[in-house]
Amino acid sequence: MKTTKPIHRRNFLLAAGLGGAGAVAAVATGIGKPAAKAAAADVSAKPSGYHVSEHILKYYKTTEV
Amino acid sequence: MSVEAVAAPVAIHRAIPPEEAARADFYALLARLFHAAPDAALLASLGAAGPIPAGGECALAKAWDDLVRASSVMDPEAAREEYETLFIGMGKSPVSLFAGFYSGAPSIDHPRVRIQADLAALGLGRPDSVVEPEDHVAGLFDVMRVLVSGGAGRTPAAVLEQKRFFQAHLEPVLRKFFAAVGRAPEANYYRPVAAVGAAFTVLETESFSLE
Repeated sequence: MKTTKPIHRRNFLLAAGLGGAGAVAAVATGIGKPAAKAAAADVSAKPSGYHVSEHILKYYKTTEV
Repeated sequence: MSVEAVAAPVAIHRAIPPEEAARADFYALLARLFHAAPDAALLASLGAAGPIPAGGECALAKAWDDLVRASSVMDPEAAREEYETLFIGMGKSPVSLFAGFYSGAPSIDHPRVRIQADLAALGLGRPDSVVEPEDHVAGLFDVMRVLVSGGAGRTPAAVLEQKRFFQAHLEPVLRKFFAAVGRAPEANYYRPVAAVGAAFTVLETESFSLE
């Protein structure tokens, strides 16, 4: 698959700086694991049901007389 | 979401070229940032990231610089609040994270249905633990990451296969999605995030058209 790839696509990506994008790689390797489970973690990551947040506290403030 | 290979996993680690690895990294980062707000550790490493060597295409390099700068001064608590305001909200959120919203999904032919069919054909599926619908953008980015770099017991997919999934499910949606994030008055940190995503999408769209 990689060998049949036309060379100009590769050149295009390299010209865009993606070949040397160590910048993103450095960040992404750190998050590789969580990202791999990105959607899988959805259930636990998002608080289910009621939880107090800044948001909710702000709302409470608005109800004070 | 779609990182579970249905076929028996065989551990094959074939090195992929650096530009392909970089694409997978961008997809991983976008999946992470749209799945949840960045935590302190992610903000720190983003804030300390180096620049992208600017070639002819500098939109991505410029957007990346902005994101790095924003990350270095962003507070994780503020990021969490912004994420909730933008994407979760109380009642209707200002910005939808679901592809179906942007493709004007008719209920009988919802993009989710087609995504499910294509995932099945690719041998990918949503783990049982996931409740998010398949058209969540973080899930779509994650599918691309797996197709580009392999993982979940599978080798990288052929570029043609990546192209097919991208053109069917991401390309029609991402421009509108990133534009919606970028112009939302509630967006602050997510503005440079959307700019990076938009510039990367342009790059992907163009590179697939060269195929």
